[in-house]
Amino acid sequence: MSNEKKNDGKLLDFKDWKVHLLCLIMVVVADGIGSIPVGAGIIKFTLLPMLYALVIGIILAAAKVIKRDMMEIASPYIGISVMFLSVRMGSTIGPNLKEVLRAGLPLLLQELGNLGTLFFALPVGVLVFKMGREAVGCAFSTSREGALAIVGDIYGLDSPEGRGVMGAYITGTLLGAIFNSILASILCATGLFHPYALGMAAGTGSASMMAAALGPVVEAFPDMAEQISAYAATSQVLTGVDGMYMSLFVALPLTNFLYRKLKREKKGAEKAIDYQKVMSDAEKAEDE
Amino acid sequence: MSKKQEWAVRIKVLVITAVIASIGNMLSTWHAGAVVMPWETIPALISMFAIVILGCLADELMRKIHISLPKILYISLFTMLLSIPGFSPIAEWMQVNYAKIGVLPLCTPILAYAGISIGKDMDSFKKQGLGIVVTSLMAFAGTYIGSAIIAEVLLRLTHVI
Repeated sequence: MSNEKKNDGKLLDFKDWKVHLLCLIMVVVADGIGSIPVGAGIIKFTLLPMLYALVIGIILAAAKVIKRDMMEIASPYIGISVMFLSVRMGSTIGPNLKEVLRAGLPLLLQELGNLGTLFFALPVGVLVFKMGREAVGCAFSTSREGALAIVGDIYGLDSPEGRGVMGAYITGTLLGAIFNSILASILCATGLFHPYALGMAAGTGSASMMAAALGPVVEAFPDMAEQISAYAATSQVLTGVDGMYMSLFVALPLTNFLYRKLKREKKGAEKAIDYQKVMSDAEKAEDE
Repeated sequence: MSKKQEWAVRIKVLVITAVIASIGNMLSTWHAGAVVMPWETIPALISMFAIVILGCLADELMRKIHISLPKILYISLFTMLLSIPGFSPIAEWMQVNYAKIGVLPLCTPILAYAGISIGKDMDSFKKQGLGIVVTSLMAFAGTYIGSAIIAEVLLRLTHVI
């Protein structure tokens, strides 16, 4: 109510200057520190400035330096500031378009494997941890920058889905590289996969995770290092191109569908009749 | 909030974000050993701003005919088309100028705003914490193993290996 009064008749005001100033200070501190490489040998990852910015916010909120009203004001600004990132990431597609069109059928179709995120993760989130809509934000993708942009735009980053994708983003930033490095080492050791297939699989859209997943494979097959790297790089470019559209038009709707199914099955017998009715209705609608 | 106010806030925050990002970019390029001063990124940031505004306008037009898609779809479509060499007259200009502003410095202000607002969600995040960590690790495993299985099968079928 007071907000409405404040904005009344005024198109532009700078009553939120504290939020922007704090943002500037956080960015200067974060980018001032710069990225820090951590780890040794095969397991390597990097701490990035964006992570410090987030952590500073968490600390300041815990110390009650950031007041509730500032939190509310800053929330919609996330979705606006994300748009520059969308432009910057989209601009890498054009120069690589030829490379993508030249890529072979296996390379193209293995992109569907990126849907593995939701089939692996959603049942764990919903059935094991009894999560709500947070699980959807968490499970539909690898929760990199593009996923933040998608969820931020559709649900808002302050929604349950937004909390899920941000939590997954933090997890990925902190543990993603280590985890992928260990996973790649294990898959490599099983001998079930050809190193080319593991190379293609490494291209998941995150540069640090690709590097981490590629390392152990190249280390194990030094003779094929060049080819494995080439497949990984092409797959990485492909995911960069199709990742956004796959997430938006395939992965996210599929995750929502699977989420509803998992939630419904949990509700038990008394709801089963309703479920059957819904299904038969849906079938009828399809027949028409 | 009226449409006009929405646009006023959007433009204000975009301009402020651009300034903050250019300062962050200076620090980040300084670490990398080849400092890019904030004013050197002005052409790139202005053109990015223009593409964002175009994307938002396209979204408003599409909503008038009841097509509701995320704004980033229009934005990334425009920027992709504009960045194709041979197709777009400004593709080369874009490549030269956009190289001056990194992807990571553009992420820092977003996460800073997110950091400022995150406090109001901390309690529910704490409650969900372990679930989120394990679920996202499962997602990373899922995409890697999923892609590896499909690639392995198709590489064999097409006799590449």
